[in-house]
Amino acid sequence: MLEQTLLLPAILALFLPLFTALLLAVVVPIRRHGWAAAGASVFTAVAALVAAVHVFAQPNDGQPHVWSVTWLQQAGAEIVAFGVRVDGTSASMLVIVTLVATCVQIFSLGYMKDEPRSALGRYFTYHSLFVFSMNLLVLAPNLLQFFLGWELVGLTSYLLIGFYYQKPSAGYAAVKAFWITKLADMGFLLGLLSLFLVSGGFDYESTLQPQAATVVTLCLFLAVMGKSAQFPLHVWLPNAMEGPTPVSALLHAATMVAAGVYLLVRAFPLFAQAPITLNVMLWVGSFTALFAAFVAVVQTDIKRVLAYSTCSQLGYMVAAVGAGSAFTAYFHLTTHAFFKALLFLAAGSTIHAVHSNDLASMGGLGKKMPITAATFGVGALALAGFPGLSGFFSKDSILEALAERGAWIPLVLLLVAAFLTAFYMGRTYILAFMGEAKGNAAHAHESPSNMTGPLIVLGMGALSIGWFGHAFAEKVHQDYHFEFGGLGAVASLLGLTGLGLAVTLYSKRRHQIDQSPFLVGLASVVNTAYVDRLFVSGFRGLALPLAKGIGWFDRYVVDGFINLTGWLGLATSRQLKRLQTGNTLDYIVAVVIGTIIVLAWGVVS
Amino acid sequence: MLELVSLAVVAGILVAAAASVVLGTNLVHSVLLLAVLLFTTAVLFVLLDAPFLAGIQVMLYAGGVVTLMLFAIMLTRRSSGVAVINETLRGRRLPAAFLSGSLFALLCWAIHGTTDFPDGGDNLLSTRQLGTSIFTEQALSFEVLGVLLLAATIGAIVLARKRDHGEPEPAGTYLYGTRAREEASR
Amino acid sequence: MMLGHVLYVGVLLFCLGLYGTLTRRNVIGILLSVEVMANSVNIVLVAFSRFTHNLLGQVFAVFVMSLTVAEVVVGLALVILLYRTMRHTDIDEASQLRH
Repeated sequence: MLEQTLLLPAILALFLPLFTALLLAVVVPIRRHGWAAAGASVFTAVAALVAAVHVFAQPNDGQPHVWSVTWLQQAGAEIVAFGVRVDGTSASMLVIVTLVATCVQIFSLGYMKDEPRSALGRYFTYHSLFVFSMNLLVLAPNLLQFFLGWELVGLTSYLLIGFYYQKPSAGYAAVKAFWITKLADMGFLLGLLSLFLVSGGFDYESTLQPQAATVVTLCLFLAVMGKSAQFPLHVWLPNAMEGPTPVSALLHAATMVAAGVYLLVRAFPLFAQAPITLNVMLWVGSFTALFAAFVAVVQTDIKRVLAYSTCSQLGYMVAAVGAGSAFTAYFHLTTHAFFKALLFLAAGSTIHAVHSNDLASMGGLGKKMPITAATFGVGALALAGFPGLSGFFSKDSILEALAERGAWIPLVLLLVAAFLTAFYMGRTYILAFMGEAKGNAAHAHESPSNMTGPLIVLGMGALSIGWFGHAFAEKVHQDYHFEFGGLGAVASLLGLTGLGLAVTLYSKRRHQIDQSPFLVGLASVVNTAYVDRLFVSGFRGLALPLAKGIGWFDRYVVDGFINLTGWLGLATSRQLKRLQTGNTLDYIVAVVIGTIIVLAWGVVS
Repeated sequence: MLELVSLAVVAGILVAAAASVVLGTNLVHSVLLLAVLLFTTAVLFVLLDAPFLAGIQVMLYAGGVVTLMLFAIMLTRRSSGVAVINETLRGRRLPAAFLSGSLFALLCWAIHGTTDFPDGGDNLLSTRQLGTSIFTEQALSFEVLGVLLLAATIGAIVLARKRDHGEPEPAGTYLYGTRAREEASR
Repeated sequence: MMLGHVLYVGVLLFCLGLYGTLTRRNVIGILLSVEVMANSVNIVLVAFSRFTHNLLGQVFAVFVMSLTVAEVVVGLALVILLYRTMRHTDIDEASQLRH
């Protein structure tokens, strides 16, 4: 019975997108047609959503339900199994993923309307592949399948960032994303290996010695740093904005980058055993949150503002886990998925209208695109933590968790980041939607309903999710109690101050503010190019020589050993050949030598 | 005492003859010196109380083998009138000397290390006993020997006979692949 | 006289014959040296028979003699055959079995 209500929809949610992806990949005419591919992909996304909601709606008895197929056995013990694990966390995440994916895909129907047909087909193939990969990760019963999904979403990200592959910058961005995350994935692999070495399996809930736990979790955290764009591995995320905006909304805001946080939440039993790692995460997360917020302030590209904002919010989540509260991080992940996807899609709407990413081309769009402006505003306020909106609840609970832990300095960092978040969102909103409409902006008009529809859906989510904190906590069986205490008041105050400051500064003298020495100086300091250069020199200095060395070793020592045995055989035979002189007397000599040896042996013994 | 002296004389002749056989350059001289060696061995047999063997030694070896050798030399001479040269190979002398020397040393050491040499009594063995032994105890070996001699005879005849058409075999007939080459070239 | 003395003589003859086998160029020369070796074996056998009072040594010597004669016969037949095909009796030249 349980199988039918839980397992079957989960399997459907998992495999329907895969089926579509394969179908579109293999049956080329459907893909080339473009709209058929879009239709298939959207249909499966909706079906997956329905299945996910079905799973989510089931009463939760607190036990995780795992169905798996044994893949690898050793001496009767199961080592590797693939399957699905349905519990509160995965069910809710499944809903989030499928919901945002559906919204994004429907949005894409409008946004990508002008693409050539075959490109459209390719786009939706990748989207379906992504939904499958993400679900594979969400429903994974063990870390190995999680890794499988992890790598696949990385691949899909690469494919989608480089979607406009004719642009060199897109190719560069795709490769950069892949490389940086690959570096991080080495951490995942090392973590998996060490976990297997000490515990013989890949379970989320293994019990380990503290040192072992520290090693494993630090390795896994490296992977999280890459995937969830923590400093210094955040450098790929701004470049990832080369992809189409719906892709940025889905992958690089709501779901893929959240996979890192999801890993932390899932494997929290492991992380809880390693206080050192938790400490590291606390500091890295809060630093990233603050750093990225600073960078977001000086961006001129609307997508880059949102990218650094994502980076910053992910820092919040990581810090939350570091403070020991997995639930607050997960809660923030949920609310963030809604309002960040919303923000990106709304930004996409504006980009579509003015045909440019640059904030300078926008202005006064508030009157021309009311729905977009309203939804963007809702999202911005949610992100800034305006009281009553979803971001307020989740961000506040994170701050409370840090306070409870006694992590005062990280708390301060996060509060400053909250101030900056409100500031740059206010700045962005004013620069884009208020003021006079010039140039392209003058001809802008509201986007069609297939683009505004998702915006409204997500907007409603952003408004309301916050109030469901308790129900949500119950679903995932965690403790959660919301108190609006002093800390909450301080945070809200900071947020409002930030917004107010932005409004005051930018309403009147927007361009002068952006040229002010403070901001220009800030922009040069937080230039991501510095970190990029660090990576390049690290590669040239370390990785390349190491690779060359190992290559030499492989060629001359490993291969050399084999060649040596071959050469040895030849050399021996060449020498032994000389015994065959054909001369009878030589053979007699051989006989005599043998006889002497035998006799000598006989005499001696 | 007398025995020891005679043994010494006989041994001396034996060694000298053997040295000439193996080191001499003239082949015919070597064969003749082999005959001397074989005769002297017969004398030694007499000294060792084996008269029958001395007799066979003279008949078979000194008579038969030497004659055969001489015939063979005669049949395999390349040019007429020149003494058959029988030199030793230069490159082989040292290793051969080393090998023989080491074998000699080994065996001498084995003999030297033996302490319990049997000392036969004066009860001599007679020829009658020898004959009885051959034809009764060793009868099987005797018969086999007969078969072997027969085989050897037949084999020698087959090997050394002339071809039917009277022509000597062309060079390299029995070498590997020559027959095939011949058929192919025909 | 002692067994040991005769043995020494036999061994010396054997090794001389061995040296000759390994050194001679002419095939018949080699056969001659082999003869010397066989002869020395006979000496040793008879000596043992005399001193251990065992008839077997002499019987063995008789057999050895017959066998040696047979061997010489066949060997000389081969020599004649060799001479017919190669027109020489030089052992060094007869190296077609070289690798």
